[in-house]
Amino acid sequence: MPCEMQQRRCETPILQMWKSLVAAITFLAVGGSAFAASAVNKDTETRTLIVTEGGGKTELALAAGETVEFCPNGCFVTLPNGDLEALTGSETVEISGGVGRIK
Amino acid sequence: MFFRLLRLVLLLALVVSAPLSFGAAAQGLAQAPAGLVADQQKILQDLTTKTDNLEKKIQQDSEDDASLVDIRLQLEELSRNSLNSALAFRPRLAEINARLDQLGAPPAAGQPPEPDIVTAERQALASEKAEINAVIATAQNLSIRVSGLIDRIGNMRSELFRNLLTKRYVLSDALSPEVVSDAHEEFTGFYKAVSSWLIFAFKFKFQAVLAATLMALVLAAVLLVGGRRLFGRVFEADPGVEDPSYLSRLSVAFWSTLLPTLAVGAFLVSTVFFFNYYNVLRGDIGVFLNALVAVIAVVFCVNRLTNAALEPQLPNWRLIPVETGPARWLVRLTTAMAVVIGVNNFLSVVNDKMGSPLSVTIARSFVATIVVGVILILMGLLKPFKASDGTWRPWPTWLRYTSVALGLFTIAAALLGYIGLAIFVSLQVVVTGTILVTAYIGFLSARAIGEEGGFADTSIGRWLSANSSYDETALDQLGLVVGVAINLMIVLVFLPLILLMWGFQPGDIQAWGYKLATGLTIGSVTISVTGILTGVVVFIIGYFLTRWFQGWLDGSVMARGKVDTGVRNSIRLAVGYAGVAVAALVGVSAAGIDLSNLALVAGALSLGIGFGLQNVVSNFVSGLILLAERPFKVGDWIVAGDTTGTVKKISVRATEIETFQRQSVILPNSNLINNAVGNWTHRNKLGRVDIKVGVAYGSDVKRVHALLLEIARSHPLVLKNPEPFVLFANFGAAALDFEIRVFLADVLNGNVVQNDIRFAILDIFSSEHIEIPSTPRAVVETKKHEAWPIDDDKIEAEFAERELAEAEAAVEKKRLAKSGRKARKPDPD
Repeated sequence: MPCEMQQRRCETPILQMWKSLVAAITFLAVGGSAFAASAVNKDTETRTLIVTEGGGKTELALAAGETVEFCPNGCFVTLPNGDLEALTGSETVEISGGVGRIK
Repeated sequence: MFFRLLRLVLLLALVVSAPLSFGAAAQGLAQAPAGLVADQQKILQDLTTKTDNLEKKIQQDSEDDASLVDIRLQLEELSRNSLNSALAFRPRLAEINARLDQLGAPPAAGQPPEPDIVTAERQALASEKAEINAVIATAQNLSIRVSGLIDRIGNMRSELFRNLLTKRYVLSDALSPEVVSDAHEEFTGFYKAVSSWLIFAFKFKFQAVLAATLMALVLAAVLLVGGRRLFGRVFEADPGVEDPSYLSRLSVAFWSTLLPTLAVGAFLVSTVFFFNYYNVLRGDIGVFLNALVAVIAVVFCVNRLTNAALEPQLPNWRLIPVETGPARWLVRLTTAMAVVIGVNNFLSVVNDKMGSPLSVTIARSFVATIVVGVILILMGLLKPFKASDGTWRPWPTWLRYTSVALGLFTIAAALLGYIGLAIFVSLQVVVTGTILVTAYIGFLSARAIGEEGGFADTSIGRWLSANSSYDETALDQLGLVVGVAINLMIVLVFLPLILLMWGFQPGDIQAWGYKLATGLTIGSVTISVTGILTGVVVFIIGYFLTRWFQGWLDGSVMARGKVDTGVRNSIRLAVGYAGVAVAALVGVSAAGIDLSNLALVAGALSLGIGFGLQNVVSNFVSGLILLAERPFKVGDWIVAGDTTGTVKKISVRATEIETFQRQSVILPNSNLINNAVGNWTHRNKLGRVDIKVGVAYGSDVKRVHALLLEIARSHPLVLKNPEPFVLFANFGAAALDFEIRVFLADVLNGNVVQNDIRFAILDIFSSEHIEIPSTPRAVVETKKHEAWPIDDDKIEAEFAERELAEAEAAVEKKRLAKSGRKARKPDPD
């Protein structure tokens, strides 16, 4: 068996194929990530964000500890303390103590 | 006393300095960019004005689809701008919020009042915040308004499209003799415009025209010649080849369509570009030229594609196995169809610009659609295949009927006056048909590459097999991957292309893609394709990281650190399992699956799992203990129950043992933990071998002992320490038994040493005349029955004699019993 005589040589093509596959997938993963803003509610009660996206306003209720992705292409959001902020779609809104902070 | 004073002073100093430091910080912060609010207000004012203008324009251009698309793009830009202007406040807002946090809430009723400066600052910040919020709210309202306008444009466009398809023209009006005069008028106007431009160009811009054309020609030539040089071998069909492979036919078709089309496209585009650059174009000529260029490019592409697929000259290279005559006809018909549609489009641009009457437009479209319909029917009725008996056979039924039905539909729509619908259908047939055919050729090539040995035949495959270590199987697998990738690419490229052709907006497709990617919600469960893909990808990455780390740790660190093989193996396995477990956990959380939900289910199921998987779990835990305790390692000679052999692999559930007969025995780990396991090679491979030998009674045992010891000592594999020992074991039934006990450095050599020593004993005993007795086999004689007696008197006499003997024996036995002697039990061995 040539494979037994050249163990290393037989392994490499599959390994290299896997490597290139992994590289491609990594590239895709890096390229495909970060496509929406997310909101985290760190409080123990439900908090509501008012999101203005496209032509309308929607209320986004976040249960305690919940994380939600929203607003892929930019939007306006009214935080629980009444502040109005604009989002481009890559930020993280963190709500704690009834106050929203953008990171 | 002194300390108390000091404390008082310190306290006072603190109280005084606290508001001071607050004030200092507040002064630093108060210098906000004062113009920020005003600036953004002005920008928003501008944006609002622009929006007003665009809204008016929407009203004006409500019939013009292209203009509406343009307005939509501008509105989207406005929306982005308003968002950006709101974004400009973010750093300032963050500052204000941080400062407000520092200041804290205003003191409640019972508490001591705070310094005035703090109250004033809080109020100033709050009012600035309110101001900013108001500006952002303006931006928000603008954005909502713009979105509303964009939606309105979408509705208007779909309404326009519906009108186009359903609007009916009265043909008798349009096709009156007046049309001829109208058309003549229009043609005269067009001729005048073009000729006046030509005269202008030749008189004043002759050099520029010449230079522009030359440059464009050079560019196209470079592209064509360069392409030929690069892809020369795959570019042209070689008539000498008897039976070219399907893949080479496909690649020839692909490249011979792509390269000339690119060259022609480059020539046309650069011509227009250079004409623009030198200001040769004037008035509407630029629009006409653009339309003409598009027509030429499309007709050329369609012609090349059909030629490449059907190859009327070279039957060997044909992709679709039609006969030569029909192939020629198909190329002609397809090209004619493209020409008709292209000319119709060009004329529609001319009509638009010349402001010609509706009747001309209708007449032109009518003729074009009727021609396309007729061509479609002709194509459908063509009999392109030849049966084995020489008769001509038509297309497959579905293709034939589709083609004829489309043709009839177009003609009927045109005759009934639905010119818009007819034009739409015929345009779709040409463009969508071209896209579909190209996609189909792509699919076929993907299939050909994916076939066994297909990839190795391609130029890339040949190059890879020559320049890398890929063997045939790896190439085959690579071909499969490439095939799948091509299929995926075709779907990704052509599906949106067709959707776009059918009037969907890029935004729609993007929104669908986004929805599919971020999650389809079914009940309370959200399935997200990207989430799952991310999870899988993260797991794969984690897995390979673990593998790499494992290899690195084993091969580089521990191998050079001269770590014991058993420990190395244990650490490698433990790292591997831990890594995979971590990768799985991270992957699961990356996929967005909430593990806390799973915990509930796991809690409920754990009892059942505990019972059901008892054995597996016990083996698993035993495996972990084996890894930690290391009672044996890979390569050890162990005895576990009935199994004796070499350990090949220790996994977490079971251990693989290879017996000396080369049978693989998979032993569950719990067996190895719960039962005794003998290991011949645990700490070292030292072991004892015993060899028995017997000598005849009467031999000189001292001499025998000395000889045996000599034999044992003289063997090279026998250890000097512990010394070999000869045991005078027993006075046997037939011989005096001796036993040679020797220790070996490697007990695995036992059989060899035993052989050598036995041979040596035989040799030396025979030369020394010492006999090794062999127990003689017992001779068993079978007794034959005596013949049946005939003499009765004699039998009676013998019977009486036997009775007497028995009575005497009984008397004797009684006498012995009375004397109290007992038969003793034999000693244990």
